[in-house]
Amino acid sequence: MFKLDLYKLITTSVALVLSSTLLYGGSDTSTLPGKYVSKMGAVDGGVTYPRKNGIYTAYRYNEQSTKGVNFGRLPTANELKAWDVDIMPDGTGLPDGEGSVSEGDELYEKQCSSCHGEFGAGGKGYPTLTGGNQEKLPNGVIKTLTNQRIEPGMEAPKRTIGTYWPKASTLIWYIRDAMPYAHPKSLSNNEIYAITAYLLAQDAIVIDGVEMDDEYVLNKEKLMKIKMPNENGFYPNIDGPNGVENVRKFFSDRAKNIGSGTRCMKDCKDLSTKGNEPTVMKIDNEITDVVPPYTTVRDLPPEIESKLESKAEKMYNDACKLCHGSDKMGAPVVGDIEAWNKVTQKGFEKVVHNAIDGMGGMPPKGGFENFTNSEVQMIVEFMINSSKKKQ
Amino acid sequence: MGNMKIKAKEKDGVVGVKAMFTSLMADKEEAEKKKIASEFITQIVAKNNGNVVFEVTTSGFMAENPLFKFSFKGKAGDKLEVTTTDNSGKTETETEVVK
Ligand code: HEC
Ligand code: HEC
Repeated sequence: MFKLDLYKLITTSVALVLSSTLLYGGSDTSTLPGKYVSKMGAVDGGVTYPRKNGIYTAYRYNEQSTKGVNFGRLPTANELKAWDVDIMPDGTGLPDGEGSVSEGDELYEKQCSSCHGEFGAGGKGYPTLTGGNQEKLPNGVIKTLTNQRIEPGMEAPKRTIGTYWPKASTLIWYIRDAMPYAHPKSLSNNEIYAITAYLLAQDAIVIDGVEMDDEYVLNKEKLMKIKMPNENGFYPNIDGPNGVENVRKFFSDRAKNIGSGTRCMKDCKDLSTKGNEPTVMKIDNEITDVVPPYTTVRDLPPEIESKLESKAEKMYNDACKLCHGSDKMGAPVVGDIEAWNKVTQKGFEKVVHNAIDGMGGMPPKGGFENFTNSEVQMIVEFMINSSKKKQ
Repeated sequence: MGNMKIKAKEKDGVVGVKAMFTSLMADKEEAEKKKIASEFITQIVAKNNGNVVFEVTTSGFMAENPLFKFSFKGKAGDKLEVTTTDNSGKTETETEVVK
């Protein structure tokens, strides 16, 4: 677990880097609810690359020639049929079947609760499926989804079926194809409807004005009537006949809808500061108390190249690593530069002698009496070399 | 939908109960930090056919939406009644027939 440390910065005028993502379109009615509000020179994402005719992409446009690249063949009708298994909000692909909340309860308890927790409430390290406050802000955005951990003690967004999933059909699809985790596709259609009914009931979903009690039976028709609390929480609108056009329109104006930042890695100025000189942005609450500590050094584990050393390495792994691989046994850990500096101060001859004859908790030859003295010397060399500062 | 989810099932004369209560369980200190109103359950009582079978005093030290498990001697068809009291004195009761 990370411990959060409130880091008070001496400079009080710094802008909070994340603040731009917290603004919601309250006063500006043209902005979509919950939409990312880009600001000038945003460094927190939204980088765009110009392509052609004023069109931008999120990635550098690949201008390599595609000559000679084989694009494959058209799929056969059967191949298409095998792939075309999605379940859509309009009911396309939804299986026939039905199941009640109480049947789902029993199935859930047996097949799902071990990972997703009682009532779907999580707590076992796997996704939380239910719960989370569905209350909305005036602009229609679910409150708990706007949570940001920008300060210690603050909560993260709560993403559950009730607060986040825009369509109930996805639930049928996902459970059918992916759950239970260890043996997916093992549930019957009726069982899938029952479990879905149970999960929706835990999130107090109301179907056509009817609350889902234990006896409530869910089927295809009822499922299609469901309006999920976060149905309108996504943009652009990808559903319906205009879906593709909506998406195209949205992405054609990346600067407005996504933000057009300039990537900046150092001393980034907050260009949106009004009046005065732009200030350099800083992270307000940096988490520093982490193990191993943050570092910008990029180095690889010590490289072992020669044949001789790899034989030594193998012998080390077999005979010595058990104790020298970690500090649990009180042995100098291979790779621990300081510890081995101390060891080698005695002089190489002496150290090899100690490894052969043993000392303290170190058994003679590590307990492998069949090793020759020169083999032990070779391993010690390997250990020392693996514990040196990289040049 | 009330503030609790209850499941009571009998097996070999023992009723196993799992119950989850919807509450932020935020005491004054936590509420101040999160800038929300303090809200936590202070007492939970469960009665089976009128007899108290489970009773706890709780406070903000518990996590949000606490989950309880307890068991008692009983049978399917018994009437389990669970009542919570929160820090403002508000009570809520829900009944569940043992399965
Ligand atoms: C062995 C543990 C395990 C079991 C048992 C299990 N799941 Fe999952 N479930 C997972 C994991 C892991 C994920 C996340 C998978 C991923 O994101 O790739 C997940 C994801 C999900 C999700 C999507 C959650 C989200 O918000 O993205 C749903 C819904 C779900 N499971 C339902 C079920 C149902 C219903 C059952 C019982 C039929 C079940 N699971 C059984 C481990 C499990
Ligand atoms: C049972 C655990 C154990 C095994 C196996 C083991 N060592 Fe050690 N080794 C130790 C301990 C403990 C020390 C520290 C002894 C001390 O400082 O008193 C040590 C210290 C050493 C030292 C430093 C001696 C010095 O002069 O400070 C060398 C070199 C060494 N071991 C080599 C080996 C080699 C080579 C092997 C495999 C053939 C091996 N060890 C296997 C426990 C082990």
